[in-house]
Amino acid sequence: MRNLLFIMLLLFVGSPVLLAQDANVSGIVVAEDNGAPLEGVTITNRRTQKSTITTSTGAFTISATRGDVLMISYVGYQGKQQTVSGSNTLNIRLSTDDRQLDQVVVTALGINRSKRSLGYSANDVKGSELAQTQRDNFVNGLAGRVPGVTISGTNGAPGSSTSIVLRGINSLSGNNQPLFVIDGLPVNNQTFNANNMIAQTENRTIDFSNRISDLNPEDIESLTILKGPEAAALYGIDAANGAIVITTKKGKAGEGKITYGFNYGLEKVGRLPEFQNIYSRGTNGVVNKNTFVQFGPKYPEGTTFYNNLKDFFQDGNVQKHNLSFEGGASGYTYRLSTSYSTRAGVVPNTKYDRLNISLNATGQIFKYLKAETNLQYINTKNQKVSKGQNSFYTALLAYPPDENMKDYLTPSGSRKRLLSGTEIENPYFDINKNDLHDKGNRVISNLGFVFDPLSWLSITARIGIDVSTNEYVVLYHPESNRAGGAINGSLDVSNQTNRVITGQYFGSVKHDFLNRKLRTTLRVGSAIYNFDDNVYSIRGENFLEPNFNSVNNTTVTTQRNKSIVSQKRVVGVFGDFNINYDDYVYLTVTGRNDWTSTLPEENNTFFYPSASTSFVFSEFFKNTGFGNIMTLGRIRASIAQVGKDAQPYSTNPSLEAQGITGGGFSYGFTAPNPLLRPEKVTSKEIGAELQFFKNRLSADVAYYKSKSVDQIINGLRISYGTGFILKNINGGEIENSGVELLVRGTPVQSTNFTWETSVNFTKTNSRLSKLPSGVTEFYNSDTWLFGNVRNGSRLGGPLTTFTGQFTYQYNDKGQLLINPATGLPLITNNAIWPAVGDRNPDFRMGFSNSFTYKGLNLNFLWDLKRGGDVFNGTGLYLFNLGLHPKAIENRETPVTFDGVLKDGLENTGTPTPNNVSIIPYYNNNFYSASVIDQEFIERDVNWFRLRDITLSYQIPSAWLRKKGMFKTASIGLTATDLILITNYTGGDPGVNGTTVATGGSGSAGFDYGNLPVGKTFNVNVRIGL
Amino acid sequence: MKNVRLIICSVLIIANSGCKKYLDINDNPNGPTSADPALYLPSIQSQYATGIQLDSRLIGPYIQNFLHSTSGIAYDLHGYVRSSDFGGEFWRSVYWKGGLNTIDMINNATAQKKWDIVGTGMALQAFGWQNLTDYHGPVILKQAFDPTKNTFDYDPQDTVYAYVKRLCMDAITELGKNDDATGSPLFSRYDMIYKGDRAKWIKFTYGVLAINAHHLIKKPFYKPDEVISYVDKALSSNADDAIVPFSGTNATDASALGPRRQNFGVYGQSSFIVRLTDGSIFGIIDPRQPLMLTPSTDGVYRGLTPGSGQSSTVSNAAHGVRSVWGSPLGVNVPTGGPWGKYLFQDAAGFPLMSYAELQFIKAEAAFFKGDKALALTAYRNGVNASLDFVRSVPLANASFAANYTAERTAFLANPLVIPVTPAALTINQILLQKYIALWGWGFIEIWTDLRKYDYDGNIFTSFTIPASLFPDNNNKPAYRVRPRYNSEYVWNIDALTAIGGFDADYATKKLWIHLP
Repeated sequence: MRNLLFIMLLLFVGSPVLLAQDANVSGIVVAEDNGAPLEGVTITNRRTQKSTITTSTGAFTISATRGDVLMISYVGYQGKQQTVSGSNTLNIRLSTDDRQLDQVVVTALGINRSKRSLGYSANDVKGSELAQTQRDNFVNGLAGRVPGVTISGTNGAPGSSTSIVLRGINSLSGNNQPLFVIDGLPVNNQTFNANNMIAQTENRTIDFSNRISDLNPEDIESLTILKGPEAAALYGIDAANGAIVITTKKGKAGEGKITYGFNYGLEKVGRLPEFQNIYSRGTNGVVNKNTFVQFGPKYPEGTTFYNNLKDFFQDGNVQKHNLSFEGGASGYTYRLSTSYSTRAGVVPNTKYDRLNISLNATGQIFKYLKAETNLQYINTKNQKVSKGQNSFYTALLAYPPDENMKDYLTPSGSRKRLLSGTEIENPYFDINKNDLHDKGNRVISNLGFVFDPLSWLSITARIGIDVSTNEYVVLYHPESNRAGGAINGSLDVSNQTNRVITGQYFGSVKHDFLNRKLRTTLRVGSAIYNFDDNVYSIRGENFLEPNFNSVNNTTVTTQRNKSIVSQKRVVGVFGDFNINYDDYVYLTVTGRNDWTSTLPEENNTFFYPSASTSFVFSEFFKNTGFGNIMTLGRIRASIAQVGKDAQPYSTNPSLEAQGITGGGFSYGFTAPNPLLRPEKVTSKEIGAELQFFKNRLSADVAYYKSKSVDQIINGLRISYGTGFILKNINGGEIENSGVELLVRGTPVQSTNFTWETSVNFTKTNSRLSKLPSGVTEFYNSDTWLFGNVRNGSRLGGPLTTFTGQFTYQYNDKGQLLINPATGLPLITNNAIWPAVGDRNPDFRMGFSNSFTYKGLNLNFLWDLKRGGDVFNGTGLYLFNLGLHPKAIENRETPVTFDGVLKDGLENTGTPTPNNVSIIPYYNNNFYSASVIDQEFIERDVNWFRLRDITLSYQIPSAWLRKKGMFKTASIGLTATDLILITNYTGGDPGVNGTTVATGGSGSAGFDYGNLPVGKTFNVNVRIGL
Repeated sequence: MKNVRLIICSVLIIANSGCKKYLDINDNPNGPTSADPALYLPSIQSQYATGIQLDSRLIGPYIQNFLHSTSGIAYDLHGYVRSSDFGGEFWRSVYWKGGLNTIDMINNATAQKKWDIVGTGMALQAFGWQNLTDYHGPVILKQAFDPTKNTFDYDPQDTVYAYVKRLCMDAITELGKNDDATGSPLFSRYDMIYKGDRAKWIKFTYGVLAINAHHLIKKPFYKPDEVISYVDKALSSNADDAIVPFSGTNATDASALGPRRQNFGVYGQSSFIVRLTDGSIFGIIDPRQPLMLTPSTDGVYRGLTPGSGQSSTVSNAAHGVRSVWGSPLGVNVPTGGPWGKYLFQDAAGFPLMSYAELQFIKAEAAFFKGDKALALTAYRNGVNASLDFVRSVPLANASFAANYTAERTAFLANPLVIPVTPAALTINQILLQKYIALWGWGFIEIWTDLRKYDYDGNIFTSFTIPASLFPDNNNKPAYRVRPRYNSEYVWNIDALTAIGGFDADYATKKLWIHLP
């Protein structure tokens, strides 16, 4: 296979230059706003249907005669039609107006298509919109911006990972993240799985970034979100979750340009959960300083309190520098950019540093051969803290206010203890003495050739390499609780080398029929995907020198290591066929066949087709009066199928080396399954797009329904009768449906003032319609974070439910049953956990507004979520400690539960009303025995948050010229996550309890020990030379 | 157009021909798919020991080998832990660490004509099933390990008993073959129990047969002669004891009974074992007592009463019962030890079967048959072997009397211990001396004895079950352990329902072997 590309290249180079063309008309295409030449603009002669593209100087030549109409289209710019008049040289200016009449978007394989021809919804976002938010993970900038996109960040620490789900959950246990594609080729967006380390830390307590956050948002020109399999079918496997297609910025020919941008930001800690310190440490109203539980008597007057929480956090700060050079001449362009960003979080010692260097170059090598390349180098370092159970954050909340938390060391320098036994670790000790960090080096390179020997033939070949090495370190100081008992410190290091090679080539043939009314394009190609991941992990314990961080400092006999290799290869062939009838009926059919290495040979090949159509009905009245009102109206429909393969090595058995006496080998937890089949997702979508008043107002609506069958459920716990503990099986079936709506408008548009606004709406539903026999609940053990509430799905229910272990007991009439001996409610311990809540919101909306007055622009984005439950695990934790408001109020007031005694009469006509009174102050069982964990599932949590707001001013270039300063200059103010209005009583309800490495519907809606997202205020300056 | 077709077609043809090979990378590079059969042995053997050890945290208190430090704990009261895998460790041993590993080992060995390993594998399977059914009753047997199935039906205990017998017969046949690749150096290196000694494995298999046949003592078709003949072909001295060794250098290779793995800090010796060894019942202090048990700090041997926890004894700290390691009860092992004694040491081996055990079985069978002379001989052999065995366990933290031999002689001379005439031998003596000999390791066998006599305090002199039992039990003692929670109660519900597994008092239902 690898030789293929070589052969392809030979064929390209070896091909004779075939044809010459008449050159009647030539011209130049430049950008309206700055006059820069535009390269790669497609110019099509409507009569002959021949087309060409502009060179790096914006120049083009096309055969045409007087009166021919040339159609000019370019990604991100408003399309234009130009009639050829007498003049031989045309000067065409394209504007970057958002409201394009005939927008062009980048679709699968990097193919540019006019939006009106698409049979599915595709949303695009400009890179500058994401970059202006100044977030270090650009994925977070997508929240609320596009319908059908769900973003959930893990927490507010620098470098934390973010989950992105397009439409609903397609996979019960597997990955639901979309495929990320840069300049036509997939790249790696893995999140390191903590299980790769020797001491399995789980994904609950340590966060590892999702690797797509390595990208510099300033290098992104545009981003297209292909939400369903319809749009992404040509990408095959992995496209079942949709795809995010990123186009990087290219240089523009002409005079060289230098741009420098600087941003400084200040971050304040986000919304913290409510809790109170009224009662001192103790139990049942009796003082006991040897505990963290605060059920003692009220603090006496005059107690010295320390503001431990407030003093702990600091102001975070962000700095970013971006420098880019671009230019080009005679068929060649380049753009070189470098960026350094550093963010110190609100938690002392947390930091995320990133250095990006990227080079984009394009060249017209021969008349018919164009090459483009993108080379990026990324260096990251992330200094982190723990999250979740026993993290600095839970400790911070639990720390007694009458103790000065800052005193975390004894005079002799060892850890200061408050209790004699096991105790909560002082957060200062955690952040100063333990060390969690990641370091990464990554190179992403793409090389593409486009060969256009004939007007009807084009061949594209691309090869991409994404190589990264990452180091993940988890060090626990000898005195840390987390070191795990008397092992005197532990160090886990994983070194990961990841390599993804992708290759792709396709030929495209155009032919017209019926007097050029029927125009067709056929594309046929092939692709390879080669994934190779190596992790070497080492661990050592028992530090010789307590403060020296190296495995060389651990005792030799405790040192262990392991190697995890993971490889996957996919080969695919694909084709698509487009029909365009007179620019108002469009039909596309695609097909792809993949062969994957991860499935058994007899099941490893699968074909998936798709068909989509778009019908522009406004063509029928475009020249009428109504046509002036409704400038575009079209409906679209599509149906597609894609497959998903298994995780590597799911089919064949493998033995694991044993650490027990005698060693040897034994099977691991997971059963091999030689009978695995690919899972299949079938998706249908219908939609409509309407534009009114020359696109002053537009609406786009989509309804989709998908069904995923033969789900490959990874790591399903199953009867040990299999001989294993877990098994990967085909079994589940999932249904998904949803509505998406996007309305855009320009209420005001005048010479100096413009107001643009847009609203998007998303509603998704899911249903688990089938599970393997014998399985009544599917749950993900990673999400069983705290208490007995977890991400579990029951048959017939949504995929986003919580299940809970305990429920109250009721009599036949539904009255609460009370234990006559204790006066506390009776609780059932369920063997099969019932669904006790649903995290899925009723709907989500985004509101964006942009006001422009001359060079001044104000824009902001609000994000609304309505409904959906959140498990306030942090609240439950505080409750158990006696700190939550619910554990404070009425503590000293006698309570008699409203219920009936379970005394044998409970189901008779005359049950005994509960008459047992309890004073919680003296009976702390009240706070543990009588409260089931789902009391802390907060129902119907809404939020309305200002995701970002930006005020920017473009200094008039005339003024700058007069002063003899830079060519362009702008200043801006940006704030993110400034306002959060919610009925949630905890911190931030938008957090994710684990990381993206947890598959399925993950842990969004699990709030336990997560640092809320902070508020950031940025000032930025950008100058151009 | 022609050129295009040519390019596309040629490329596709090349692609497809190389495809199959290119994609053939799904053999897991992180571990072999198959190994020399001997390499499977350590894990299977080790996990059998560990499974029994960890499950003794549940049934150790049922049989009052040791009891929990906290009063009212479910284990002391013949209860179980709800929604927990606690007590399901041997289930894991047999189905997972034993399971397919043993099957693969047998298959690989068969292919390589290593008949000794084939037979050893079958013997280990027989041992696993025998103990599993004695522990749980009905288990998944016929459908187990079928890769096409995800739920599995249970088989009744009589089916398992018959299968164990057949496996043993097959194992003996295989072990008897003496050609081809038997006796490979790898077998002797990786067989942790017998170092590749085929003769000992044959004896072991006869031991399983003896146990299998003897457990049917309540059945009308019980054959004591068969039991006796099996015992006579089984282990012939302590040198034949099946002991799984532990290196004890770290948490992975240490015995689960030892302090390093921190499983037994909450368990202290029972008052019953104290009574059995302090002369209360046998009239003379047992020389094994200081080696196996721990006195309170005042030097007096005390034990816990089931359900009462430490509070029953600890009015005075010096009277407190110590943990089975000799450390303070109820807390993790404090630093500054050393802690751990007898089998409760990190590096102590763990017997799966002993010569003494089989001699007591023979004694009971002969007693049942009425051949009291034979019974007495076997009984004396058992007591003697146990005295040797206990003395042979390396002494880390036990003070043993220098005059052990003298004490032993006195002990054996006591007619309450060894009756002078066969007629004086009682069933109590056989079962109680067996209890002492198996204390700390033979949990399932002791439990089988207690259950078959319905915990009768007249036979197990002074044995008393707690007055108030676990609420689900309906005042009945435990007769079986519920199958592993996360394997069966969550994922195999239909099959488990069919055998009544969801009944609250399922664990109190008598096994087939306990019914006449």
